[in-house]
Amino acid sequence: MTQQQSMAQRETLTRQKGAIERPAVSPPEPWSFPQAQRAALANGLGVVSYDIPGQYVISVRLAVPMPLDREPRDREGIGTIMARTLDEGTARHTAEEFAELLERKGIALGAGVSDSGLSVDLDVSKRHLSEALDLLSQAVREPVFPAKEVSRHVKTRLAEIDQERALPGQRAALEFISTYFDADERASRPSAGTKATISAITPQDLVAFHATSVVPTGATVVVAGDLSGVDVVSEIEAALGSWSGTAADVAEPREAARAVDAGRIVFLDRPGSVQTEFYVGCPGPDRGVEGGWAPYQVLGFVVGGSPNARIDAVLREDKGFTYGIRSGFRPRRRGGVFLTSGSVRADSTVEALGLLLEILDRAREGFTEDETQAGVDFIGKTAPGRFATADTVADEAASLSLEGLTTEFTTANLRALADVDAAALTEAYGRYVSGEWTVVVVGDASLYAEGVRGLARGEVTVLPA
Amino acid sequence: MPLEYQIADRTLDNGLRVIVSEDHSVPNVTVNLWVNVGSRHEVEGRTGFAHLFEHLMFQGSRNVPSGEHFAALMAAGGRLNATTWFDRTNYFETVPRGAMALALWLEADRHGHLLDAVNQENLDNQRDVVKEEKRQRYDNVPYGNALVDIYAATFPKGHPYHHATIGSMEDLDAASVEDVHEFFRRYYGPNNTVLTLVGDLTPDEGFAAAEQYFGPLPATAAASRGPVEPLAALSEPQRVERIEDVPSDRLHVAFRLPVDDTPEFFASSLATDIIGGLSTSRLYQRLVRHDQIANSVSAQAMGFVDGVSLGFMVIDVADGCSADAVEAATCEELVRFAAEGPTDIEMESAMAQTERGWLSSLASQEERADHICHHVALQGDTGHINTFLDRLGEVTAAQVQQAATRWLMPRSRAVVAYLKQDGAAQ
Repeated sequence: MTQQQSMAQRETLTRQKGAIERPAVSPPEPWSFPQAQRAALANGLGVVSYDIPGQYVISVRLAVPMPLDREPRDREGIGTIMARTLDEGTARHTAEEFAELLERKGIALGAGVSDSGLSVDLDVSKRHLSEALDLLSQAVREPVFPAKEVSRHVKTRLAEIDQERALPGQRAALEFISTYFDADERASRPSAGTKATISAITPQDLVAFHATSVVPTGATVVVAGDLSGVDVVSEIEAALGSWSGTAADVAEPREAARAVDAGRIVFLDRPGSVQTEFYVGCPGPDRGVEGGWAPYQVLGFVVGGSPNARIDAVLREDKGFTYGIRSGFRPRRRGGVFLTSGSVRADSTVEALGLLLEILDRAREGFTEDETQAGVDFIGKTAPGRFATADTVADEAASLSLEGLTTEFTTANLRALADVDAAALTEAYGRYVSGEWTVVVVGDASLYAEGVRGLARGEVTVLPA
Repeated sequence: MPLEYQIADRTLDNGLRVIVSEDHSVPNVTVNLWVNVGSRHEVEGRTGFAHLFEHLMFQGSRNVPSGEHFAALMAAGGRLNATTWFDRTNYFETVPRGAMALALWLEADRHGHLLDAVNQENLDNQRDVVKEEKRQRYDNVPYGNALVDIYAATFPKGHPYHHATIGSMEDLDAASVEDVHEFFRRYYGPNNTVLTLVGDLTPDEGFAAAEQYFGPLPATAAASRGPVEPLAALSEPQRVERIEDVPSDRLHVAFRLPVDDTPEFFASSLATDIIGGLSTSRLYQRLVRHDQIANSVSAQAMGFVDGVSLGFMVIDVADGCSADAVEAATCEELVRFAAEGPTDIEMESAMAQTERGWLSSLASQEERADHICHHVALQGDTGHINTFLDRLGEVTAAQVQQAATRWLMPRSRAVVAYLKQDGAAQ
């Protein structure tokens, strides 16, 4: 093209270049978490419901406080086996009959345990809600733990333990808790038990554990979905109103102690690994932390929550070492852990771990207002979408109930985001992150353990994976 | 049950199909784009390219610097990503209503003007990232390449579904900037794309915004090819055996199924559920509950457009039990099911679970938008989300039995067995 351009040509070029202006973003309308209706049954069961029009699948979550440290030391994992066998035979139905009753109505029923309790999860089309609640009630109140089903689930759990050990991410997670927590803490051992403790579990153990753990007092049932025409309290009263039982005394929760030698590196040798898995952590707060939980949510995003976050900006977008590494503060009932995990190309192991620890450490020097605002906006403005469906609302309410909180916490926490600035982030991060990291590395030790030692980031112990 | 999600449909002059589904329950809009290109369009020596290309769509375009797409939308309260699959590539974000225009502007810039920003450096970087994705999901985990083996065993060499979307390391290494240019020019353009907007907007608002940002893009994509010739079921069993360091023996039993979105596919999908998907399935009852020779059974049907679909079961063999015995029992149950057909209770169960699964997936704007785009892009059907359950409900037990007889017999299986090394630690 010559330098002489006609007006028409110039206009075309101008239009192309700035063809369409980048549009401005107008601020979102105020939003609050769906409104809860609350009631309590005479047996102590709390009932919380959220009417969310247009959500045709109803999500029901029964949350029963059942701290893991209540499990007998030699039967750890009993809560998990119990959760998995609640619907494998009840007073009125065999395991197969029960499964058929669920499937014919398209009911999804599952149960599991966390650090703080048992959660029984039910999802069902609105028109089958009553039948589904009746089945949930039978599973929760009348399980009989047939020997055949218990032994099958014990065997399945034993096989699952082998599967977990073979997956580098899960292997790293298991080694992390045993390195990080003091060996006397329940938290240092797998929630779902070890081979020795699982193998010892009998149907009688399950009957006894169930009788003293799965009781209505202190439990909460959450119902979320399109509830027009549904009398939630009557439905729950009909299904669970006559449920009774007395729990063993629940001790006041306390923070699990970190091991005195937790600030070190454990390198699990997995010969031939084409990637190396990292699990890096230090103490963090629980949701009740002074100054509020909101800064910690923002920190997770800013440090390791997106491709532009501090870690992936370097390790993914600049270096190409990883598909993605994630960070987040994980609250427990008391206390918590700040965790960073992900995998990198094997031959980048030493450089990547050095860079990762440096990024985590240097974050103590502070955060910019821009990255703070991006994090605040992401957490706050995504909330309407993150809590748009029945299952996400029910999950949030149920998990908070096990912490002794309601979704008022969610709403208040979102409001508190407005006060989070760069100084608040820096203060919050520095309050917990001392630079004393517990590091688990799963990879080929013959090739990279020496290099990791050379980083001089703490004592390195090499163990077989 | 009748569903009545609102659907409004328009095609812009440049060929962009625009669907708007108005739903004011949340003050958000989901922007979802399906481009009719996936790994089925890849040529020999360039497997994995459609997916690598998708990564480059986040590395900047004419007016957008690298990384800005993620950064700008996340800071506006957007949740976003993209995925690549055999049949298509999709790009999506859910944003507060006030950021919809920004989302469309960003999408139009990269869907219209990506090549201005593509260079060797960002290709090399994303090639590395994709290789780590492959290592993380396929190469560094037990059984990680089972799906790759299933595709290769079930579909003939050269068939669009013979190779996995992730591709091979060699082919990823071979990808060049020239390949990126050629691929974009051939497949990307409004005339090979469907845009769906779901959420807090009216059809008029949606169409106007689509016109404003996408209207100026020329119809640059080449005409898309028609589907390849249909494949019949395998005429004899195929087998791939991998002796590896896996914690337990695992069998994958795969079958060709009929093309997606047909009554015959629906019937074969229900048959797959009844044989291996439900908690009351034939295989779960036999292998897990009664014989106790397997720890778990799962099954799924994946609908495709290019002449064939895929169904497979995954069975974890119990410790100390024989994988051969599990396979023999599985074949017995397949023969029995084809001979007997489903019971009324099995039909009721498979229908009920499919219904709940479908309603759950429509519960979020994101998935609803994705379903709409899917069926408009690949089947030209705007009404699918509202009519699917009624169409499924018309499938009879006889059709399910017929589908099993035609597609799910032992002679038509492709078995991918991952077996423990002898003497491996128990």
